[in-house]
Amino acid sequence: MTILGTAFGMVFYLLQAVSGESGYAQNGDLEDAEPDDYSFSCYSQLEVNGPQHTLTCAFDDPDVNSTNLDFEICKNLVGVECLHLSKLQDRYFLRTKKFLLVGDSKICVKLGDKKITCKNINIVEIVKPEAPFDVKVMYHEEAKEFVVTFNTSHSQKSYLTIKDLIHDVAYRQEKDEDNWMHKNLSNTKLTLLQRKLQPDAMYEIKVRSIPTDYFKGFWSEWSPSYHFRTSESKGEWMDPVVLTISILSFLSMALLVILACVLWKKRIKPIVWPSLPDHKKTLEQLCKKPKKNLNVSFNPESFLDCQIHKVDGIQARDETEGFLQDAFSPQIEACEKQRLGGGMQRPSWPSEHAVITPGTFREDAPLRCLTGNVTACNPPILPSSGSPNCGDSDKNGTHVYQGMLLSPRTTNNNLSIPCPLQLGILTLNPVSQGQPILTSQDSPSSLQSEEAYVTMSSFYQNQ
Amino acid sequence: MFHVSFRYIFGIPPLILVLLPGASSDCDIDGKSDKVFGNILMVSFNALDSMRDICSNCQQNASNFFKKNSCDDNKEVKFLYRAVRKLKQCNKTNNSEEFNDQAERISKTTLILLNCTSKVKERKPPTLHKVQPTKTLEEKKLLKEQKKQDDSPCFVKRLLDEIKTCWNKILRGAKKH
Repeated sequence: MTILGTAFGMVFYLLQAVSGESGYAQNGDLEDAEPDDYSFSCYSQLEVNGPQHTLTCAFDDPDVNSTNLDFEICKNLVGVECLHLSKLQDRYFLRTKKFLLVGDSKICVKLGDKKITCKNINIVEIVKPEAPFDVKVMYHEEAKEFVVTFNTSHSQKSYLTIKDLIHDVAYRQEKDEDNWMHKNLSNTKLTLLQRKLQPDAMYEIKVRSIPTDYFKGFWSEWSPSYHFRTSESKGEWMDPVVLTISILSFLSMALLVILACVLWKKRIKPIVWPSLPDHKKTLEQLCKKPKKNLNVSFNPESFLDCQIHKVDGIQARDETEGFLQDAFSPQIEACEKQRLGGGMQRPSWPSEHAVITPGTFREDAPLRCLTGNVTACNPPILPSSGSPNCGDSDKNGTHVYQGMLLSPRTTNNNLSIPCPLQLGILTLNPVSQGQPILTSQDSPSSLQSEEAYVTMSSFYQNQ
Repeated sequence: MFHVSFRYIFGIPPLILVLLPGASSDCDIDGKSDKVFGNILMVSFNALDSMRDICSNCQQNASNFFKKNSCDDNKEVKFLYRAVRKLKQCNKTNNSEEFNDQAERISKTTLILLNCTSKVKERKPPTLHKVQPTKTLEEKKLLKEQKKQDDSPCFVKRLLDEIKTCWNKILRGAKKH
């Protein structure tokens, strides 16, 4: 019996529970009514009006018929068990300081006295801060930056203080819609560098806040926008020019340094610090071998064969040389052959011997010399090395004839010049005037000069 | 017999639950106590401190409550529990509404943070078979004065200060660990 009674009790209990959850209308009719979506969301604002907080709730579905619906909050309230929200158009609003702010409270949608749907919500986790205000932008010219400052009412609150908030600063150019740039910060001051903003542009800036740490919730409404214009930065326009100039100057300096290093030894150093030339080397450079195989020697004997011309007689010399070259060139070759065949040595000429060239006969001074007046005759004495180069060096006809004496008459005739080596030494002898005689001294060389004289006279006689 | 079965079925289990040993208070402090204390409780304590007009001439007379209860080591949670319950029992008519609100915040918040599973009974209920002794006039007078003293703003203020001190001690100990 006990067991049977227990079973009947359980059945009756279940029946009552099931019937209570079905769609049982108040008029008693059983209807399969579609359940309305009474889902809702709420947010709270702390210390909005002094110590009083606010709670705002609304249905997620705006089409819900909220005519007879009410909102109620219970649990974790100070001094009361439950509080009712007042209806304002499509929202439900409550202003009170009775929130305990600890633990979950129960918010229910009531239809009369019947609770339709409930939610356990912690008031401190649905906090929506108040919107910031008083946004200002100041330009610091020396630092070339824009300082953004704003204010918030939470700086003077007890619960949700400024340290419990994170601020979002959004700015954009007015012409760029939907191109907002965001910066998060925990204080109420932000610095924007001028170089990161467009010059001479209009900007819009606004701020909003969100709770952090112990308090949680949603973003506040945006603050009123602030508009500011960036200045025309001349420095920015000149920066590319200055940059280009600086780069070019740097490159040119680098190039100069490189060239200086490369050309230092070869060109720059000799100019800046010229080295003293070596006299021997300089002399060698100066006395380079001439193109025409001239004798480079300071031995006077090597110049005995050279013709000595006065400045005045250059023109005559040129004519005579041309003439003599044509006349004597084959005879000279014959003499050379005889010399080479006889094996004769060339006599060494003293330096005092005078050499008289045919070119001098056309002038008065040489004529006086030929007449035996030595004092009047002052022919240049040129040493000669005695080498055949002296005779061969001047191809234009400057021929040197050793110990040769030529009378004026011979200049007009074709002369057959004997070999110079056979003439011997020729010296000037101050004999009586009118005798163009050159006698040799009493020595073996004088014998040679006599032979030369004889030969010359015979040569003259032959003529 | 039928109604007897109902009594046994639906009556015994609740009775068992009630008769379960509930004298021990198992309190487990919430892990977020430090944040709640810093963001919520301290606001109330600061608001009470600003009410300097209350208890300006309090005498440091020792109350029986403080003689029996103190925030000693390993007894902090027990003291807080008893202190906030005492606070709730105090007559609030002598205090301002703002004072009473802040005091209630502190007591309720402390109880939530302590998260005690059962209530601590401060008094044993009198048995039906024992006859209560008759109190003398002097004892009655003494109890009246004691109750008056406990309801004074000074006692309430001191009680709140002791609660704040004990909370600081608990949180400092929690940080060390």
